[in-house]
Amino acid sequence: MASLAQEPGLVTITIDGTELQVPKGELVVESVKRLGREIPIFCYHPRMKPVGMCRMCLVEVGMKQPDGTVRMMPKPQAGCTLPASDNLVVITDSESVIADRRGVLEFLLINHPLDCPICDRGGECPLQNNTLFYGPSTTRYVEVKRHLPKAFPLSRHVTLDLERCIQCGRCVRFTEEISGDAQLAFLFRGAAMTPRTFELTDLDSKFSGNVIEICPVGALTSSDYRFRARPWDLETRPSTCLECANGCSVWFDHRGGKMVRINGRVNDAVNEEWTCDKGKFGHGYLNAPDRPAKPLIRKEDVLAAADWSTAYQQIVAHFEDGRTAVAGLVGAKVSNEDLFQFKRMFHRHFHSPNLDHRWTRILPSQTEGVRGLHGIDEVHTRIAEWESVNAALVVGNDLASDQPMVYLRLRKAWQRHGAKVVVISERPTYADHFASAVIRCEEGKLFEAVARLSAAVLQNREGADALRAALKPFAPDAKDRAAAEALKGEFFTVCSESVYAKPDGGKTVSALANLAVGTDNAQRFNLYPVGANDMGAALLGVHPGGQGMNTREILEGCIQGRIKSLWLLECDPFALWHDHQQVQDALENVEFLVVQTSAPNQAMQYASVVLPCCAHVEADGTYTNIERRVQKIEAIWRPKGDAKPSWKLFTELMLRMNPSRPIFEPSELMEMIIAEDESFAPAAYHNLEGNGACLPLGVDAGAQLFMEIYQ
Amino acid sequence: METIHLENSRGRPKAPNPEQVELKFSDQAVQELEALLTHYPDKKSAILPTLWIAQREYGGYLPPEAIAEVAVRLQRSYAEIEGVATFYTMYHVGHPVGRHLIEVCTCLTCQVCGAYRIAERLKAKLGIDFGETTEDGVFTLEEVECLDACDRAPVLQVSDAYIGPVDEAEIDALIEKLRSDPGSGTIRLADEIVKAQLHANEQRDIR
Ligand code: SF4
Ligand code: FES
Ligand code: FES
Repeated sequence: MASLAQEPGLVTITIDGTELQVPKGELVVESVKRLGREIPIFCYHPRMKPVGMCRMCLVEVGMKQPDGTVRMMPKPQAGCTLPASDNLVVITDSESVIADRRGVLEFLLINHPLDCPICDRGGECPLQNNTLFYGPSTTRYVEVKRHLPKAFPLSRHVTLDLERCIQCGRCVRFTEEISGDAQLAFLFRGAAMTPRTFELTDLDSKFSGNVIEICPVGALTSSDYRFRARPWDLETRPSTCLECANGCSVWFDHRGGKMVRINGRVNDAVNEEWTCDKGKFGHGYLNAPDRPAKPLIRKEDVLAAADWSTAYQQIVAHFEDGRTAVAGLVGAKVSNEDLFQFKRMFHRHFHSPNLDHRWTRILPSQTEGVRGLHGIDEVHTRIAEWESVNAALVVGNDLASDQPMVYLRLRKAWQRHGAKVVVISERPTYADHFASAVIRCEEGKLFEAVARLSAAVLQNREGADALRAALKPFAPDAKDRAAAEALKGEFFTVCSESVYAKPDGGKTVSALANLAVGTDNAQRFNLYPVGANDMGAALLGVHPGGQGMNTREILEGCIQGRIKSLWLLECDPFALWHDHQQVQDALENVEFLVVQTSAPNQAMQYASVVLPCCAHVEADGTYTNIERRVQKIEAIWRPKGDAKPSWKLFTELMLRMNPSRPIFEPSELMEMIIAEDESFAPAAYHNLEGNGACLPLGVDAGAQLFMEIYQ
Repeated sequence: METIHLENSRGRPKAPNPEQVELKFSDQAVQELEALLTHYPDKKSAILPTLWIAQREYGGYLPPEAIAEVAVRLQRSYAEIEGVATFYTMYHVGHPVGRHLIEVCTCLTCQVCGAYRIAERLKAKLGIDFGETTEDGVFTLEEVECLDACDRAPVLQVSDAYIGPVDEAEIDALIEKLRSDPGSGTIRLADEIVKAQLHANEQRDIR
């Protein structure tokens, strides 16, 4: 066979007689996939370092000699640890490889209980599959198998069945390499080797759910999903997680109208294939038995089921042309289309600008936010870009809670190329363990900490004299100066809007923006939202704009009687607003309260009208994540009872107030959004197949400093 | 093999917060650790000798607090340290061992030379089986594989010393001698291993 012309960085190898070029150093287990072939594996995982623990991937290997003959190695090699090099010859289907695989599987099954009929993994189990395709049909071992606990709860979510473990180490490596908390390790050795937590303490990792998915056998199972279904009974549909603003791609498994589990779905732009525990285990509310299914109207102190038209009548009576006496508050899990239509209804028919989607203590107005004060966009960095940053400043709450996927990428950057990370926070965070400097400040002192670090960073740099002068009162200490070492060159800033829940949050954000602008890092500044579609709400203008009232003013307005009618869309102020008393007073006082919700909440007690609405899996819609990726979620179930998609409900109401052409599809709303706001153009529905589409980031108007905060 | 007891998952205890772990190493131990850390490129590499320090400091075995302290001092995860400690048989994890650890080699050469007779004798004399500790906490008996002293078969390892060849008649006297020794052989062994890791000048400075 004539050799292929050599390209730089590529090597020529032969797999089962076929010559091909692959990148030098690529693992043979990956190269084989290029030919559409497969080597069976257990311990190898493409996103983790290979360890060669299970020997399932044995192949025959040889070297092509200059005279054209092939010198085979005397023993088989593990394909998952073997890097491709020139003239490598790999044989994956010889008699001896087949015999090796049989032998390995016979070994792995010595102690495996073979309880597939009662195992959650049965039907989607790599061990089952490999045994079926490559294993022996029977075993020569007649000895008694080892007996170990069958259902040991490692945590609220993860249950360990030790007998089934094949000691591949995927779970252990996940906690060490990916999530970084290293909460699992192998204890003991030999047949007694068990993946466990220290002293059997709680596996409280924020990413623990992933180990359930990557375990190639049924050893790590989900406590919630245990014995709930067999995989072939499930309907599996692609969806997007809405528990935070990262918008991870997930598989949504349901059965008989109930959500049974959430698994990660590969999306290299967002979550690779991981999920965080919030997302994986946080969708239980969809199964709640008491989700509202009919419109309810208050009659003499009780909420009674009613029909839509009565509800509409009452709403129109109280809201139409309500002007400044009506207001709307919105939660995080509302689609772009719903938000847009809600806003239109308020602006056009209620003539009210009183809308807000924010629930933090600090509610910066248009002129006070990052864009207003500093002329830069809130977001400049896409999630996948975080894995290639060289230096980063992480400020505020735990990044792993607020932005789990950014955390995983940043950790990867540290692990792969030693990215320098500085963490400023009031409490211990997940990122501390790989940070090159951690500045732990007292509660409420975040702003001072940022200012001191800024002063230290500027000492290392030229320019920005005005800022340096303004920072005079903040003298950096040795720790700040050490931390500033990491931020000498370009660095990325990441903070989440949850910092606005802190009294000094506004100043902190501004100080960060100043630091970014003053060091020419404005292009790397990020203030990410936290709620699922907060980004969408911000872009679509579901906020008071210049004239309206914000969340606080609306609640106060209700108490003072200036707001007569309030509409709560998918939000429970008791859970979101920091001042419970204020919420209670507001809801008690307001004359007419519409609670539109997909799950029962506390605000319903005060409602005049309760409108059932669809959860995200019950209606088509798009959501915008932190990196302005618009992702489409398709309806998976029929709505509960009489519930309808919110956009439809708003459309019907608007038709009552002003007969015009109705809207039939959410895609029409997206077209209207695009017509109103050019920047949404990439999000036209035909572009949203696959991983969605990204709207522009980093639209800066001209960076400025804002010094008043330092006075 | 250790059995694990099923418990209510909601009641699973939390791992200690690293900032709250009580650090009990003596000043000498801290100095030794600092010296040892200079021998290695990173803290991870120092896990084994640090476990020896801990085993000495915590009285001849490694209770969970010792594992936690090593983890905090080396900035590794608790589970990783526990995994290392449970891998090697010379670390005694979780349960205390006696002041004197008697290890009987029952591998081929010793067996041929009568190791089982010796073992039976020890068991009868101490009233314990392999893997057990006498009630007064003085003796722990273990069965081990080849101690690499076949020329002295049958051989016992008593904490930090090899004794062999032994015969049954000597057992009683040996036990009496050990019983009257107030020191702890297991702590002595740990101490000797720590010392062996330190360079001569470091040993001098710390003493
Ligand atoms: S529990 Fe599963 S993932 Fe962990 S070592 Fe055992 S087989 Fe591998
Ligand atoms: S997959 Fe290669 S050794 Fe496990
Ligand atoms: S067999 Fe006992 S020391 Fe070798």
